[in-house]
Amino acid sequence: MTEKQEGMVSPQKNTAVRHFQMPDTLAGKLRVWRFLIARRIVQVGVLILFIGTLQWGWTLFNRLVLTGNMSSSRLLDIIPLSDPFAVLQLIASLHWPHTDALIGAAIVLVFYLLVGGRVFCAWTCPVNMVADLAGWVREKLGIRSLFIVPSKTRYWALLLTLLLSFILGVAAFEWVSPIAIMHRELIYGIGLGFIAVLGIFIFDLLIMARGWCGHLCPLGAFWSIVGRTAQIRVAFDDASCTRCGDCVKECPEPSVLSFKEAAQHGMVRSGECTNCGKCIVVCPENSLSFNLRACIRTCSSSQSAHGSTS
Amino acid sequence: MSAIDRRQFLIRTAQMAGVAACVAAVWSPLVRGQAHAAAHALRPPGALPEEDFMALCLKCGQCVKACPFKTLKLATVADHAPTGTPYFIARETPCEMCVDVPCVPVCPSGALDRSLTDITKARMGLPVIDREICLSFRGLRCEVCYRVCPVRGKAITLNIVHNEDTNRHARFEPVINSEHCTGCGICEKACPTEESSIRVLRHQFVQGKLGEHYSPSLGEDFKIQDIRQGTDIAKELNPGDKRQAAPGVGYFNQPGGREGIIPGAKP
Amino acid sequence: MTSLSRREFIKTSIAATTAATAGFTVSQAALAQASAAEAGWKWDKGVCRFCGVGCGEQVATFDGKIVAIKGDPDAPVNRGLNCIKGYFNGRILYGEDRLTRPLMRMKGGKFDKDGDFVPVTWDQALDEIAAQFKRIYKAKGPSAVAMLTSGQSLVSEGYITNKLIKAGFRSNNIDPNARLCMASAVVAFYQCFGVDEPANCYDDFELADTTVLWSNNMAEAHPILWSRVTDHRLADKNSRIINVTTYRNMCSDISDLEIIYKPNTELAILNYIAREMVKRNAVNMDFVNKHCIFATGPVDIGFGMRPTDKFAFPAEKDTLAKQLNYTIDKYEAIAQRRPDMAGKSIEQKDAGRADAHWHITFDEYKRGIEPYTLDFVAELAKGDPSESLDAFKKKLQQLADYYIADKSKKIMSLWCMGVNQHVRGVWVNQQIYALHLLLGKHGTPGNGAFSLTGQPTACGTAREVGTFCHRLPSDMLVANPAHREKTEKIWKLPPKTLNPRVGTALMMALRGLEDGSVNFVWTQTVNLWQSVPNTNHWLKAARNKENFVVVADAYPTLSGKVADVILPAAMIFEKWGMFGNAERRMQCWRQLVNAPGQARPDAWMMLEFAKRFTLKEVWGELPLPGLKVEGFPDDKLPSVLEEAKKMGYNENMTLYEALFATPENKKFKWPDPIAKGTENSIVNLLGDGWFVEKALFEEYRPFTFGGHDLAPFDMYYDDKVRGLRWPIIDGKETKWRFSEGNDPFVKAGEGYNFHGKLLKAIPSGDLDGVKDTTPKPLPGKAKIFFRPYAGYPEKLDKNYDLQLCTGRILEHWHTGSMTRRVPELHRTAPTATLDMNPADAQARGLKHQDLAWVETRRGKIKMIVNTRGRNKMPPGTIWAAFFDEGVQVNQLTLDAADPLSLEPDYKKAAAKVYKA
Repeated sequence: MTEKQEGMVSPQKNTAVRHFQMPDTLAGKLRVWRFLIARRIVQVGVLILFIGTLQWGWTLFNRLVLTGNMSSSRLLDIIPLSDPFAVLQLIASLHWPHTDALIGAAIVLVFYLLVGGRVFCAWTCPVNMVADLAGWVREKLGIRSLFIVPSKTRYWALLLTLLLSFILGVAAFEWVSPIAIMHRELIYGIGLGFIAVLGIFIFDLLIMARGWCGHLCPLGAFWSIVGRTAQIRVAFDDASCTRCGDCVKECPEPSVLSFKEAAQHGMVRSGECTNCGKCIVVCPENSLSFNLRACIRTCSSSQSAHGSTS
Repeated sequence: MSAIDRRQFLIRTAQMAGVAACVAAVWSPLVRGQAHAAAHALRPPGALPEEDFMALCLKCGQCVKACPFKTLKLATVADHAPTGTPYFIARETPCEMCVDVPCVPVCPSGALDRSLTDITKARMGLPVIDREICLSFRGLRCEVCYRVCPVRGKAITLNIVHNEDTNRHARFEPVINSEHCTGCGICEKACPTEESSIRVLRHQFVQGKLGEHYSPSLGEDFKIQDIRQGTDIAKELNPGDKRQAAPGVGYFNQPGGREGIIPGAKP
Repeated sequence: MTSLSRREFIKTSIAATTAATAGFTVSQAALAQASAAEAGWKWDKGVCRFCGVGCGEQVATFDGKIVAIKGDPDAPVNRGLNCIKGYFNGRILYGEDRLTRPLMRMKGGKFDKDGDFVPVTWDQALDEIAAQFKRIYKAKGPSAVAMLTSGQSLVSEGYITNKLIKAGFRSNNIDPNARLCMASAVVAFYQCFGVDEPANCYDDFELADTTVLWSNNMAEAHPILWSRVTDHRLADKNSRIINVTTYRNMCSDISDLEIIYKPNTELAILNYIAREMVKRNAVNMDFVNKHCIFATGPVDIGFGMRPTDKFAFPAEKDTLAKQLNYTIDKYEAIAQRRPDMAGKSIEQKDAGRADAHWHITFDEYKRGIEPYTLDFVAELAKGDPSESLDAFKKKLQQLADYYIADKSKKIMSLWCMGVNQHVRGVWVNQQIYALHLLLGKHGTPGNGAFSLTGQPTACGTAREVGTFCHRLPSDMLVANPAHREKTEKIWKLPPKTLNPRVGTALMMALRGLEDGSVNFVWTQTVNLWQSVPNTNHWLKAARNKENFVVVADAYPTLSGKVADVILPAAMIFEKWGMFGNAERRMQCWRQLVNAPGQARPDAWMMLEFAKRFTLKEVWGELPLPGLKVEGFPDDKLPSVLEEAKKMGYNENMTLYEALFATPENKKFKWPDPIAKGTENSIVNLLGDGWFVEKALFEEYRPFTFGGHDLAPFDMYYDDKVRGLRWPIIDGKETKWRFSEGNDPFVKAGEGYNFHGKLLKAIPSGDLDGVKDTTPKPLPGKAKIFFRPYAGYPEKLDKNYDLQLCTGRILEHWHTGSMTRRVPELHRTAPTATLDMNPADAQARGLKHQDLAWVETRRGKIKMIVNTRGRNKMPPGTIWAAFFDEGVQVNQLTLDAADPLSLEPDYKKAAAKVYKA
């Protein structure tokens, strides 16, 4: 609750407040769903590339398209890709991985440093689909959270992961990660590991709203930290904003949407923002949009200078 | 910061630490249990010692994809191997010992050691034979394990002994030689008894170790006695050789001796 | 059996019984369980279904099923042991896809060559077969129908089929798959000794000082015998084993000397050894003068291929042309004493008289072997390019040394398919005999040249009963008027009932399907369309419109796929049976279980088929185009109906009544005390109360008197008897033949008597030909043949640069139709791979486990390259087994054959291998 209130605490504007209305036309609806559709395409697409390569040996330029899974993979038989958090755990467990894994982690890290750390969560992670489904069902049934823990808990989880990796000598999160399990089993064959996925669904649905992705996931925490330097951000046009609050209602990480801060910087700055685009499509005034950080900065600096005078 | 705030903060911190400890208490055994579950699972060739392998394996399955015989599998929670790690069941699909070892170089983390380029150097496990059930030990002409062994004659040799029960036949007893066996499991797959009489296990479950204080003087290199041992066929039955029965005989009987020494004799 | 599940019950019992026989200790609890479980079991003696070794088995039945098998501890051959095939002998009956209904190609309720297989009744099937048979028989006569049987057919089955086709249908077109296996050995036996039988026995393995394997992978092909040979090597530290082979195989594991030679050059190696014997004065002149003569025959005899390329695939034509004209290389030129002919094409003018042979002098013999010096032979024969010539020479010398060793040393030469399946297989057989005869070391304990057999009853049925196209029972020949007369007498046939013309040999019958000279083929216990070389031809020919093919088998096979009618056959212990193994041992068993569904014994099928013919249909005048035999009208067989009537036959009698259910035979009543309560499904099905197997065995027995004497039927079934080695004289079996004191037919003072009766008078001449055509008799003597080195038709060239050799493995039997149905056996060797030298593979961009095309002029198949195979191939040679239905190696092999024996050469085909 506190998060939402925080978002609401903002100077009131005089303009009449309009709220988001789902368009009646299919074209309109598709427009509203455009980021959702794109995210699903990317999420499922990545999975299909993995599955297709494994099961049917898909190739491009005579090279296998994408082998492995999200923990570590190889693009076109040559470019290594690795989960930097998994590699970080290996290092924390005092095992120095092969260069391939390090290069792979670096490539992935640089990519997400640019597009936004938690872009992983919204655009790639398969658990996101489970969480979104749980959220949707929850909304329909009107289930209230049993309890809620601070969203910062995930940073503790992150810390604990590294600490346990060090103590146990193995990558602590990798052994229990529902993300890795779900992804692996979708690609290599479904086994009992899917119980973990079911667990997340039930947890999110019945116990804590957005419990896993929004509060506990240490991988999410890792990407949040990485995301602070993201170059693609949600830009905020304070001038057109009516503070209707629709964006905050829709946001899976409401704490990132602080009007005050957004107004000050012209964008959502928090690393916890997943760039999911949900806020953008519901804004009745089109005050939100994706833009490059550099671009936003130049605009916003002039804006804020202007704003500070008012 | 007021005293109450500090107090509040300390309590809060302690509470968080408590929660973390509780979580860790559940989490650690889960990880340990996973990482050490079913330690008999056979690993791909080149796998590091289990502890290191478990630590480094990213469970990405690239080795699984690289295996052309679908030998390797990634363990799911229900399987007899730690979740997500690659393993194989020799009785179902053994390692075919590809010449180019495709599974190893694709491993991104080094859990599979890339210095393994000669597959015969792989040490995935070591077979044990149930001598009570093994048909060859009963004197039957089976030895399927020996014939299918890719390192036949080295990893599996035949100890050929007289069969007292029939007093007329030889027993061809298969013997495993750890020095050469890669643990591919082809023998276990092929064994025709209802449950395989030869099974590949990890070395730790099979191999003993001498006390370091003792240095064996006999039988250090356990070798099957070749029934041909001591045979020098060149020396026996050869009439040509018979003449060389005494020193010098061969020399004196050579026609002509060294060239030109004896006049008139053929060189 | 209350708390014990059936499965456990069987399991523990097998374990306990095997353990007990092998002298192992098992826990008391397991034993107690086992004996409780065994309570209802009935054990009876049996014989292993597979190879020519003839291991005795004990078979347990319970509730109509075979529940356990164990090696028979009392069987002298194996003493309670088995190989892995024998271990599963009881399981081959219970494959999931046993054939249980006759199947016929039908369309619209009628037989149609293009129809799909539909289950039909036995009557429907047999009626249709009889109708088709009669159609072809009437139009083309007895030469257009053929029965193709097996060295695995029971003695009774062989006898019935043989009598039906020869006496009933007056055709000699019956030939067993032993033609593919033992025919070369048979011709060599005939020509050398005048009788078809081995002079030695298995006891010799324990007596020999030196055992030489000639192209014989005994370790895999004769597993239990190999364990005896090995044990002797263990027990007698001074004994030696020599492996003469074209590639390193499992025998090399314990061989003291391994000689890798180039295919076909054993002909030269053997002559080199003979030459050494002569040079070193090692010939036992006394023995040779008293008991042997020297002989030779024509050289340019072709390669048993068709003399025309009318039916050939385009790529085959150059190979086929060599049947008429063959270019000899410099080695052949020297070896055949015509050095100026090297590189020249030579007309194969003697292809039609390959079996001719004549006396020569010892001096001529010596002249013949003179070119085979060590230098010459070593250069020609060295088979492993990586071996040095000097090392190879030394080995050849050592081999000669072992043969020439002093008189007290006993030596055995053993061979099987490597020698028999050879374009000059008869020659090689004869050369090996020659070595032993020159030494005077043959047919005595521990000394002899011993031809092993491949199949369980190649000796007992195919050869002894005479299911060959040129034979009558017990070494008699259809071409011999006296033999026909004797046979007609025993069989109570009117004179001239038997067809005097030799029938079509197995390969000829299949070629006949292709060229239209044979239109009806019925196969029994054989999967020819997988096992015969060059199958692409015969697969197509079987489907020719005018042909009718019947396949009787227990399981679906490739042959069934090209058949018109498929008959479900009973197997081994589902019928009363008798087998004869390689050492002349006849062994028997009772019917222990019933065949599943409507599967029935081959013998019943024949008898039932015989009921569909009356005498007037087959004993009247019959067309036989081209027949020109003294005493017979030209181009036809005369009617014998009038004579038959005089003998009391009625022209409306069926062949069943005339040949089988005769009043004499019907005197053997069923049930018989020796049955001990077992069933006899043939008797049950016929329903006329006579004991078919016993009656016909007793009818057959008189044929064997005077040389091959068999014991009375009941004696074989005696509980104490574990087979008997014929001849059985005064109730005693015979271990060695021809030598005094061993062979009851050799009189005191004779020392030796090669008393075989065939081909005992031949013309005389020199190495180049006959000089005196008057047949000179050679009573009691054996022939020492000079046979030169000769090449083979398909030599390697740039395009086809690898020598393809095929063979068997221990785990599977023949085409795998039985052994591949046992899951445990299947898993031991699921597929046939291409054994290849790693260097050869690498040169073709291949590595172990790659998929490759193997191509010859006759076809191509995909195989998995195996550079770690059980056989270590020298560069240039590749090897494949033929058990795998999925890998039809015989689509690649060449159907060239030994012109004397018509046995095809499976060991030499020029192939190329490339990445698939």
